[in-house]
Formats: sequence, structure tokens, C-alpha cells
Amino acid sequence: MITFNIPPFLFFLLGGLLLPLIPQRLRAGIFLIPPLLSLWIIFGLEQGTRVAVDFMHFELIFLQVTNLNWIFGIIFSLISVIAGIYALHMDDLRQQVAASFYAAGALCVTFAGDFLVLFLGWELMAVASTFLIWARGTTEAVATGMRYFLFHIFGGVLLLGGVLLHVADTGSLELTSFASGESLAAWLILAGVAVNVAIPPLHAWLSESYPTATVTGAVFMSALTTKSAVYVLASLFAGWQILIFMGVLMALYGVVYAVLANDIRGILAYHIISQVGYMVAGVGIGTEMSINGTTAHAFSHILYKALLFMGAGVVLYTTGKSKLTELGGLYSKQKLVFWLYMIGAFSISGFPFFNGFISKSIIVASAGYEAMDVAALLLILASIGTFLHTGLKLPYWTWFGQDSDLTPTKTPTNMIWAMGITAFLCTFFGVYPWLLYDKLPYPQLYNPFQLYHFIEMTQLLIFTYIAFWVFRKKLAGEPYIAVDFEFFYRLAAKGVIIIAYKPVALVDNWLGNIYAGFTRSMKGLATFFIFNKCEGALDKTVHYLLPKTIVQGGNSLLKIIRGDARDLTSAMSYILILTILLIFVSLLRMIT
Amino acid sequence: MKTWHWATLLGLTLITVVIQLLVPYTKPSWWDKIPTFYVVYGFIGCTLIIFVSKWLGKLMIQKDEKFYDNF
Repeated sequence: MITFNIPPFLFFLLGGLLLPLIPQRLRAGIFLIPPLLSLWIIFGLEQGTRVAVDFMHFELIFLQVTNLNWIFGIIFSLISVIAGIYALHMDDLRQQVAASFYAAGALCVTFAGDFLVLFLGWELMAVASTFLIWARGTTEAVATGMRYFLFHIFGGVLLLGGVLLHVADTGSLELTSFASGESLAAWLILAGVAVNVAIPPLHAWLSESYPTATVTGAVFMSALTTKSAVYVLASLFAGWQILIFMGVLMALYGVVYAVLANDIRGILAYHIISQVGYMVAGVGIGTEMSINGTTAHAFSHILYKALLFMGAGVVLYTTGKSKLTELGGLYSKQKLVFWLYMIGAFSISGFPFFNGFISKSIIVASAGYEAMDVAALLLILASIGTFLHTGLKLPYWTWFGQDSDLTPTKTPTNMIWAMGITAFLCTFFGVYPWLLYDKLPYPQLYNPFQLYHFIEMTQLLIFTYIAFWVFRKKLAGEPYIAVDFEFFYRLAAKGVIIIAYKPVALVDNWLGNIYAGFTRSMKGLATFFIFNKCEGALDKTVHYLLPKTIVQGGNSLLKIIRGDARDLTSAMSYILILTILLIFVSLLRMIT
Repeated sequence: MKTWHWATLLGLTLITVVIQLLVPYTKPSWWDKIPTFYVVYGFIGCTLIIFVSKWLGKLMIQKDEKFYDNF
């Protein structure tokens, strides 16, 4: 096979740039070309391949293939194809362009060989994905998107701070793994990555934005941001013990909140946090087996979580409702969607012969082999919660339970196809995991098809089901919201406004007075000059030109403030990134 | 849930317990040596998740849907 060493993100970048030029009716189909090309190119890439460009005494490595990132590249491209099929019926150019750039960012991060390229991809993801929230168009989506954006920029700045310190310490931009607690730079980079991994308390952007994003946008988001961050975590921070603790915390945190969530995509979003917890714990354990587990589980998770989000997306798309309190009794009208969703639910719950069974167990088993009994038991407890919510609570109260008398519109065929393909893959890798195992970073010695593994899952799942059946009324949706750490984000924003407003108002007042005094004195001065020419000139400047400019400036500022916040933020985001880059480049120059 | 549903579930459980008693254990963790461990853990774990989360919800997490409207 002929191989081309092209950084795959370039296809998506080019796709995003060209999409606006393509006629609307072809656009959704053409959207699929970049991910397909990317998939083809990555298949041919060999380990150790490197594409670098010299830039200001540094080597920028746009493509570096390792035994870890290859598989992430494959799954990111594959899921972009599937999500593209799921979105074939959609003609929203904004979302198509945003999704293209978003995937470009994720693949840029995945194959980056140095910190600067990684950072560029990181920021591209943050900016592009924000538009997938805003594209929903509701007031809530605009506000949530803004918080999402600010939080990711905050994470990006932490990452950048760490990178700058690292470059100052070592003089090298190249990606290197850090020993546990190695340096302040490592801690800062970890904090920046932790934002995208959604480690509590840095996670609330996820749980509030994924239910708010567009139907198709959420499928991309469920796959890309957290998992690309898991990849970075696995390649830089393997063996950091604090991550075991954080991972277990995440696994249980998501479970608790999923009990309380009412929005179906909210439940799924909390289960992303929970499932990513397993991967984080796997990185923390840091053995070859656990890193394999993290990689395999990220691969499986992207497939079944996309399938679950697609199922919930169909419900929202066809009924306009997403709260359990407003849903129920849809089974007779959506049998196929229900069963496809359930394949995702069986997979995430670890049913034998579905792909959760063959990946989650590697992480739990590796905790067992390292004698981390508490961690292993708590991770098993979290998996009970996973089946309880995604496999039982959500489908029961959406497709069964009390009849909501909703009449769903027809599900677009492409959505069903996308779900069907993903459901097939979830089952395929569950039955034949060796295709995945052969590509894992280390030799895979673990065999999931052991008698005791079947026994464990059978007993666990049956009795979780029985407990659910006994207490199912307790799990009906409730018309409440579950307040999470976004409360503190909002509080902080409020604080900033209060703190900023008073001094600004004070200064504004003060300047106003000075200006009034200035005009009065100038007027006085002007009348003092009796020469016609001189008076006219001064008059024109003081009474006409100066105030006019100020009033005009003020008006345009007001326009921006009152007007569409989206335009402002998109402009600001580019300026911000540009500024950060400029600072970065100038600091690099200073260092060298 | 019909009777045959319950019968299937309990029958399956019974088979797994019998296997646990007959086939020697191969996994590293101590709890795997206890037959029916996952039966108890599954039921109690699930019950705990429901009630502890609900309790936390009532204690501080759950708020009215209009909670943020005037925030």
C-alpha cells in the first residue's frame, strides 16, 4: 500500500475552508470526504513517521506516529465519518464548518509531536466546538456556550503557562512524558489537560453544555474533546498516582449526578465523566496493561457513547423534548431506535459480547493485579451505576413508563443508518476484540472471555436490574435541576461584574467630569479669542469633532454590547488566540 | 415483569453460583473467592447508589428549574 505522510488534520482544515463554497445540497455528503481520507491515510501510517517544519529555531512536529496515538487517530476519523452520516439530513453550514475544524483540532492534538502544535490544536477544538453549542440558537445555548468557551480558554492558558515554563526549563518544545509531580510546568500542563478531561471540579462545562448543544453537534462533542485529552494524559502523565484517585472520584461523581439528572443527554453527559474516570484511573495505574485498558476503553467508549447520544438525539429531534418528565411511552413508535440505543446501553454496561465488556474490564483487572482493591471495588460499583442509568433509567422512562402522548416525527433514514453502523461496530468488537487488541500500544495478554468474568457480569447485571425494578419509581425524572460546579462559575462571573463595574463606573464618572471641565474651559478660552478664524477652528474641534468621535465610539461599543454576543465573542476569540500566540512567540524569542 | 422473566433471571443466577462452587477460582482479588459476591454487591450497590444520590440531591444538589433565572 502506498503511504502518504500527510498530517490528517489538514484534510479537515481544508474541508472546513472549502465547505462554504460547495452547493448546499452536496455539502453534507462532501463533509464525509475529509474523515474518509484521514482514515485511509492513518491506516497507512507507520510507527515512527515524522513530519516536521523548522520555525524560529524550533522544530514544529505536525505528525509523529507512536504506538499510542495511531489508534486514537483511527477512532477520531471513524467517528467523524459516522457522525457525518448522522448529520446528512442537516443543511446548517455553521455546524458543518465548525465540526470540520473541531475534528481538525482533535487530530492535530493527537498527532502533534511538540507542545506548540498540540496547543494550536487544543485551541482550535475549543473555539470550533463552541459554535456547535451556539448553533442550537436558544438563549440558554448562547449563555452556556459562552461559559464553555471561557472555561476552555482558561484551560488553554493553564496549558500554555505550563508549556512556557517547560520550554524555559528544558529549552525543548518536544512532547515528553513527566515523572509524577516532576515540576511546576508538569502540574500546570496537567491542570490544563484536566479541564478537557473533565476532572471535578473542572468538569461542569461538560455536563451543562452537552445537553445544550445541537442534536448532531453533541455526537461530535461526546467523542472528541475528552478522549483527545485522555490521549494527552496517557502519553504525558502515565503512572501519576493522583490520577487513580481522581479517576475513581470521576467514575462515582458521574453516577451520583446521573441519578438526579432529568435531561436525557444530561444523564449521558454525566456518564461520559464517569466512563472517562476509568480511563483516567487506568493512566494513573500506569502499567502496560492499564494503558492498554485506557486506550481500548477510549476506543469502545467513543463508539457506544456516540450511539447513545445519537439515540437520545433522535428522541430530541423527533419529539422536541429531552426531559424524562416530558417523555415516556415512545416504544411502540420508535422500536428500532430503542433497540439500537439498547446496543449502546449493553455496551457501556459491559454486557458479554458487547465492546464495554472487553475494554472496561482491562482497567478494573489491572487495578486488581496491582492490589488496588478499593479502587477496583469502587470502579465495579460505578459500573453498576452505569447500567442503572444508561441501560435502565433512561430507556425505561423515555420509551416505556408513563405515556407522554407524544407523536414523534419520522426519523431521518441517515440517522438510523449511522446508529446501525455504530451498533454493528459495538457488537463486532465485543465478539472479536482481537482486531482492536492487536493495535494496542503494548502486547495484550489479557483475555476477557474467561469463565469468571462472565459469572461476575451476569450476577452483577441481573441484581442491578432487580434492584432497579424494585425501586424504579424512585428513578422517575423530577422537574428539578441538579446544581453542579457551574454554580461557582456563575458566582465568579457575577463577582467579576460587581468588582469590575464599580471602579469602571468611578473612572468613567471621573473622566466625564474632566472632559466636561475641559470643554467648558476650552469654550471659555474660545470666547476669549475674539479673532473669528481662531474661534471657528476651536469651536469646530471642541464642540463638534471631539464629542462626535466619542459619541460614535460609545455608540458602536453599545451596539456590540447590546447586539449579538456571538459575533463579539467570535471576534474576541480570534483576537485572544492571536494575542496568546504573539506572547508565546515573543517569549520564545526571549528565551532563545 | 412476567413470571418467566423472573424465572429466567434467577435460573441464570443459580447456574453461575453452581459454576462458582464447582470450578476453581482464577482471578486475583479476594472477593472473587466468595460465591454470590456479585449478587449481593450488585443489589446493595444499586440500592445504595439510588438512595445516597437521592439523599444528596435533597440535601443540596437539586434546585427548582427556575433557580438560575434571576441569577
